[in-house]
Amino acid sequence: MSVPGHTLDRMFNPKTVAVIGDKGPNYMWLRNNQPFKDQGGNLYSVQIDEKEIPGIEELGIENFRALTDIPEPVDYAIVAVPRHVSPYVMKDLIEANVGGAAFFTSGFAETGEELGVNLQAQLTEMAREADFNVVGPNCMGLYLPRVGVRFNPDVPVAEDGRVGFVSQSGTHSIMFSLVMGANGMHLSRCASFGNAIVLDISDYLEYLTEDPETEVIAMYVEGVKDGPRFVKALRAATARKPVVVWKGGQTDAGARATMSHTGSLASPHAVWSGIMRQCGAISTNSLDETVDVAKVLLDAKPSTGRRMALMAMTGGQSVSITDAFVGQGFEVGRLSEQSYEELSSFFNIVGGSYQNPLDMAGTVQGKREVLERILAILDADESVDALVMEQSAMFGARQWKDHPERIDDLVDTLAGHAEQSVKPFLMVMHPAHEEAFVSEVRLKFAERRIPVFASFERAAAAAARALPRGTRS
Amino acid sequence: MTFTETIDRARGESRTLLSEVEAKGALAEAGVPVTATSLAQTREEAAAQAEAISYPVALKVVSPNVAHKSDVGGVVLGLESHEEVAEGYDEIIRSVQAAQPSAIIEGVSVQEMASPGVEVIVGVTTDPQFGPVMMFGLGGIMVEVLGDVAFRLAPLGEGDARDMIDEIQGRQVLDGVRGQPPVDVGAIEAMLDQVSQFAAEHPEVAELDLNPVIASPEGAIAVDARIVLAEA
Repeated sequence: MSVPGHTLDRMFNPKTVAVIGDKGPNYMWLRNNQPFKDQGGNLYSVQIDEKEIPGIEELGIENFRALTDIPEPVDYAIVAVPRHVSPYVMKDLIEANVGGAAFFTSGFAETGEELGVNLQAQLTEMAREADFNVVGPNCMGLYLPRVGVRFNPDVPVAEDGRVGFVSQSGTHSIMFSLVMGANGMHLSRCASFGNAIVLDISDYLEYLTEDPETEVIAMYVEGVKDGPRFVKALRAATARKPVVVWKGGQTDAGARATMSHTGSLASPHAVWSGIMRQCGAISTNSLDETVDVAKVLLDAKPSTGRRMALMAMTGGQSVSITDAFVGQGFEVGRLSEQSYEELSSFFNIVGGSYQNPLDMAGTVQGKREVLERILAILDADESVDALVMEQSAMFGARQWKDHPERIDDLVDTLAGHAEQSVKPFLMVMHPAHEEAFVSEVRLKFAERRIPVFASFERAAAAAARALPRGTRS
Repeated sequence: MTFTETIDRARGESRTLLSEVEAKGALAEAGVPVTATSLAQTREEAAAQAEAISYPVALKVVSPNVAHKSDVGGVVLGLESHEEVAEGYDEIIRSVQAAQPSAIIEGVSVQEMASPGVEVIVGVTTDPQFGPVMMFGLGGIMVEVLGDVAFRLAPLGEGDARDMIDEIQGRQVLDGVRGQPPVDVGAIEAMLDQVSQFAAEHPEVAELDLNPVIASPEGAIAVDARIVLAEA
């Protein structure tokens, strides 16, 4: 799927990719993009250094001595040449009518030194004049999981990406991709845009807004160059799909002289968060918060209601889960009389409770039909807007390791409930002493589209941000 | 004097800070409720102007180079009669001259006093990246110590004013605490919308403070106003 006619469509949906200037011994960019070739894409190298060429050919990748020698139209190019060569490469990219190019090459304006600043100005002028799509420079470029174009050897190749990510930082774009993958979520498209000499955050945002594969847009932003354009693009995006904006650093406002009280109170952070709310975007402050919010947006039903039914396995956990959700402004109130009547007919109140929160291990005892019954009662209760269940690995891991079918059965029960319910359902599974085991178990939940969180606090914070979807309507 | 004329005059005098009388005049022209305020240059003018407003009235020094009026004895509140106003006028002139001999005194403003209510602050500032931005907050300690304020881009869209008010941590103060009646939140919303429109229509306004605005069950009215113009 693509956005026909969009100026960025060729580079975001490449059939031919050229890597310019990759070097041994690692040939990082050619190796990163091997999956693109394996899936039938045309992956070529451009390298004039004779001693590098044998290593490239050993990888089974055809090398050309000039970009303009490649027989097919190149849709996306990755440029990894020394900075002083970059203007010559730019000339060829323009001449060959390449769809777009990411400059991994760095050493430009970010250095603050004259040579770098001048080189960047030269590249900018050349590209702007030719209306050429430049990603970066000083960036990791594009990550297109479906076609196997990658900026790192560990980020997944995946058909089912639903989150588009735009990042001012290369590191954050890689780490976000990896952590999302470890949580069973994949990206649709990702752009790390570095110095943004031509294409800027709003260009990528506009493309992802149109992109049918992208259901949720997430961004890492430190500052924007064109505020009004960004606001316009963001408003247009949030009208179509949820947008999460992870803000890093403090926008440099300089030492602004102010003669007003209002001016002295207008910290960049306060102004930014007001604008995000006004635009209908969800604000986050960290990678983990952004991943957590993505889970809710992708897989929980939306709700503006704040009345939670909390299901815990033990007394201590039922107190802590309540603290976390109340702390985020949710209500944990009484269930309906009918619910209490039904629950009282079978609930084991010795060492348990069917008040809200529910303390239910002694009642459920691993029995699927009992858990289903409790879920059905809470689902039907009109004083409940959303359900959250906790099952810590503290007690669970041992039996799930001995009886793997039990975790599958639990996931199946919960997924069966969540699929038919209109109410959000969230799962909290603290890894306790079983980090490695839980990292596998949580993928089972993700596969069945159950948002699962490592702590009550993270679940509650993500729910507060994302259950209302951040939209104003 | 229209706002355009006020701007021209201030710029002609190389000023970016408008006087309270000028700022309130501009806001009143834009439909923003402000306490009736006029400039008196003699004790007789002050007394006559007070008669036209209902008592009690407040007097404040009007000076382009006095930053904090009350620090130099430039404010007298709660005057109940013609005589008290005339005496108050003399007292202000004397105190300010004594406290700050360099003060350029243009006169004294005679002002209607708002009935009691909750103090809030409405403001505009210009963000270097995003342009004019609106601010709302509760006055006094909430804004000074806690920075409990909300920002939005101007002009405000539908529902933005209400969202700003609801975003404040101390929001419930507006609903009435300790037996106080709830204030007219709709009037604050209307004021935010009017000020945002004013800011959007006048890019010359770099900063604006309505501080305090007194919100009460009867409405919201700006008691003090400050406008800073952008450098021409």
